[in-house]
Amino acid sequence: MAKYSEDFTPQEMIVVAGSRTLIDNKVVFAGTGLPMVAITLAQLTHGPGIVPVFEAGAVGPELSRGLPLSVGGSRTTYKANYLLGLNSAFELTQRGFCDFGFIGGAEIDPYGNLNSTMMGSFPDGYQKPKTRLPGSGGASDMACSCERTIIIMVHEPRRFNEKIDYITSPGYLDGSPNARWRAGMAGQGPYRVITTKAIMGFDDETKRMKLIATLPGETVKSVQEATGFELIIPDDVYAFEPPTVEEIRLIREVIDPKGYFVRKKIKE
Amino acid sequence: MYWTGLSPDEARQFLANKDKSKRDKRISLKEAVQKYVKDGDNLGIAGFVNARQPIAIVHEIIRQGRKDLTLSFQSAGLAPEYLAGAMCLDPAKNSIKRMELAYLAHEAFGISPLLRYLTENSLIELEDWSNYNMSARFKAGSMGLPFIPCRSPMGSDMLKTNRAVVQDCPFTNRPIMLLPASHPNVALVHVQEADIYGNCRIQGPLFTCPEIAMASAHTIVTCDRLIEHDDMTRYPNRISIPYFAVDAVIEVPFGAYPGNSGGLYYYDEKHIPEFRNACEKFRKGDRAPLQEYYDNYIFGVENTTEFINKIPLSQIQYVQKIEPGIRLDAAYTVLGS
Repeated sequence: MAKYSEDFTPQEMIVVAGSRTLIDNKVVFAGTGLPMVAITLAQLTHGPGIVPVFEAGAVGPELSRGLPLSVGGSRTTYKANYLLGLNSAFELTQRGFCDFGFIGGAEIDPYGNLNSTMMGSFPDGYQKPKTRLPGSGGASDMACSCERTIIIMVHEPRRFNEKIDYITSPGYLDGSPNARWRAGMAGQGPYRVITTKAIMGFDDETKRMKLIATLPGETVKSVQEATGFELIIPDDVYAFEPPTVEEIRLIREVIDPKGYFVRKKIKE
Repeated sequence: MYWTGLSPDEARQFLANKDKSKRDKRISLKEAVQKYVKDGDNLGIAGFVNARQPIAIVHEIIRQGRKDLTLSFQSAGLAPEYLAGAMCLDPAKNSIKRMELAYLAHEAFGISPLLRYLTENSLIELEDWSNYNMSARFKAGSMGLPFIPCRSPMGSDMLKTNRAVVQDCPFTNRPIMLLPASHPNVALVHVQEADIYGNCRIQGPLFTCPEIAMASAHTIVTCDRLIEHDDMTRYPNRISIPYFAVDAVIEVPFGAYPGNSGGLYYYDEKHIPEFRNACEKFRKGDRAPLQEYYDNYIFGVENTTEFINKIPLSQIQYVQKIEPGIRLDAAYTVLGS
């Protein structure tokens, strides 16, 4: 049997890339949706020691009772090692117990700032947005106070903008030296951006987004064309290893058989 | 600076004058809403997204009709969506003036169509916060503090439109964010177990329910089942909300349906989309399905029992069957040698 899958969707690719980015034995604070799927895949493959934290209160549960439909649902609490409520989960984060926050957004800028609040003009149009999004939830708290953040995005030009309408979850703010520290944040900021087309990180000096790897079927050119701002392209960009047959099987048969998060059609 | 609900001093004074006796607080849900929920109130909505949302209480508020409400919550789904739907259908009977929120949507079930409708048409006023902010604001209220310091989300645009204040910490000299306490007029809380005095035992995550109940002037509690007081006090440190923070207790089995009540019933993956799709159609200009939903499931019934009677038994059995059924009993077994 072939090692690599030849039939996978962009969302499945994102989940595999997210999973492989996670490091065993780290504490990962998970937002709703694809991050939960990626953490489960990582636990079933290279990261059995990953400790998931859910903002509704559950710390270190087993995710073997089916994919949670919500970060507050009963399935996040099975065999949890600690379980109180939202304040306790965020206090742990503020204290420094969470290595990674795993979040998404509707829109991102070159410094990893995310918008999940509104489209339209801000602040004057705040009370009458063009499009209202769900709001921060816990994502902005994770972005500030987890030691690092991993961001998951659908890769489309309209979602990658030099300027975003609203900063919900801060990345490196304006990219100036020590911007996060000066703003009073505790965590170090974005570590990786994982999209349907690429894996990206941030330049140490300028804090702008840089390409690290292209996903199967993509090139440096196609990734840049799908990005609404100029990416830093280092010399050592590599092609990311495609999803294996086994990873795709785990996603489809074991983790999200009903396709709640993974097979949803990506809106154009 | 302004306060919605009670100011910290008003909240303190309110408790000073309150009857804190240990008395039977059972009352009908209709009476509880009549007595405690007033036009113009700030309502603290407990639960988290669609888990343990106070659905039964919200349906009763909608039947009676309340106007100019402020809704305060961290992440919610069904409860504010139902109140928003009632406002969309008849703003002369039910209306929301303002929301202080971190998130309104339904996670895997999709975005909130009526948050979009109400905000994009500028029909309500918003104050955005993070989940931790709203939780910490209730916590400050429950601690009797006028504000609480917090380290997130500093640098976010939320700080430009909400009442948070950034100051230099007097001890570290680094910037720190101060959040005003939240003291809602009424907390709306659904739990799995309560006794007749109002002691509550929450199974699974506590969310921010204890803090909301302790911070509010009044608390209405619905529970899936009433249990004996002796069974409740056998495990004192498993009491999540103490009786003196509760004004009314109503046994309402399935009081959080179609949402999740940990250990008892899972999200109804058929009914939530049925309601949400009717909301989405309203947003797109077709009001009939939403009107039909309310006429059938809310205005066409007297209470939650009649609402549940309209759902096929097989569907109710299914949400019970797939619920993991984790009960955090405060019992233990001695570790074997």
